[in-house]
Amino acid sequence: MSILNKLRLNGHLDDTGLAQVWTEQSLTGVQASHTHLQSCADCRTRFASFGAWADGLRADAFAEAGDAFPAERLAAQQAQILRRLEAAERPARVIAFPKFSRPMSAGSSLPARWITVAAVAGLIVGVGVGQRMDLRHSFTEIPATTARLAKPPLSDRPVNPEIRAVSDTIREEAFLSEIDDSLSRASLPELRAFDAFTPRPGERPR
Amino acid sequence: MTGAQAAGMPGREADGAAASAVKAMQAEGRHAEARERYAEFVSRHQRRASRIAFHYMREAAEADEAVQDAFMKAYSHLSSFREEFPFEVWFTRILINGCLDRIKARKRRQRWIAPMPEGPGGERDFLERAAGHGPSPEDLLVAGQRRRALSKALARLPERQRSIFMLSHYEGCTSREVGALTGLNESTVRVHLFRAIRRLRTLLGDSAGTAAYVEKRRVHPK
Repeated sequence: MSILNKLRLNGHLDDTGLAQVWTEQSLTGVQASHTHLQSCADCRTRFASFGAWADGLRADAFAEAGDAFPAERLAAQQAQILRRLEAAERPARVIAFPKFSRPMSAGSSLPARWITVAAVAGLIVGVGVGQRMDLRHSFTEIPATTARLAKPPLSDRPVNPEIRAVSDTIREEAFLSEIDDSLSRASLPELRAFDAFTPRPGERPR
Repeated sequence: MTGAQAAGMPGREADGAAASAVKAMQAEGRHAEARERYAEFVSRHQRRASRIAFHYMREAAEADEAVQDAFMKAYSHLSSFREEFPFEVWFTRILINGCLDRIKARKRRQRWIAPMPEGPGGERDFLERAAGHGPSPEDLLVAGQRRRALSKALARLPERQRSIFMLSHYEGCTSREVGALTGLNESTVRVHLFRAIRRLRTLLGDSAGTAAYVEKRRVHPK
């Protein structure tokens, strides 16, 4: 408010003064007993108007809250509060773990348990031993070894002595004929000189 | 009419007696009786509690939850209630603290959520209400505008002033009670209420206020 307006008020209560009186009255609940208000009808009228304006604010606020909370909603709220109170006082309900329609046999049979334990132990041992051994190497050797083990050498087998003698003779002849062939060939020119110096069986030394 | 007169504070003695009785029943393990007795308190105060919560939260669903939580909390902590202040004041304090916690949580949430656009008039259910029985659409529109203006003006008040204005003027609490509810002394409450009403007067306009009076005085000087 400007100074000019204050001067025009001429000792009457301005809006701030009215607000002060209203605040006091509102907080104490006692009717305003301001000296100027008692003597000035204009200010009383203005104060009444101020109070009506403030009451209007409250009426609007109440109406808005009343719209937001009709009687049905309040009834539902009360019912909900009572339900929650009752639920809070009941001891906690433990929900059972879902059961199977038919009991599982694996969990109850003792032999089945032992089988499972043995299988698991075997698996663990197998994996452990597998880690320690060089399986790849042993796998590559297996065919030769197994062949040797499965098929012993010819000499170890029990054979008829006549057949054995014939086969030995054949083998010796084949060996000698191989030597003869190699001697007679001497196909490589670089080796011919060496061949010439090499004594033949039955030749006399020079 | 003062706030206290308007709100017509329901029987405080009856509240105190009921609280003591419920406390005793709880201690003796008579829970069904205690609940029954407490239900009377709920029905007597839920309208007021809902109004306070709604003025804080500005949303009916959240206000509803805040009220329920406050009644639950008051019941479960009844053993800590001391007769220093009326039971109603103790309960209102629980309610207000709950509302303030929810407002804080909402502010945190709103940082991450984009706001929903409102209808052209800002009131989403205006058409539904206008089509029904009751006041005329024009009345509803005017009332709606007035309420929105009031709501906006209240929102522009500092939180402390707003709380004190609502508790004192809407709910009719005395300065001592408001002080007990807000943790402020009575003179501070007085100052905040005075500032709140002056600010509202400025924000909402004062058709019956000083400007008109000054004009009148100019025409008819005393």
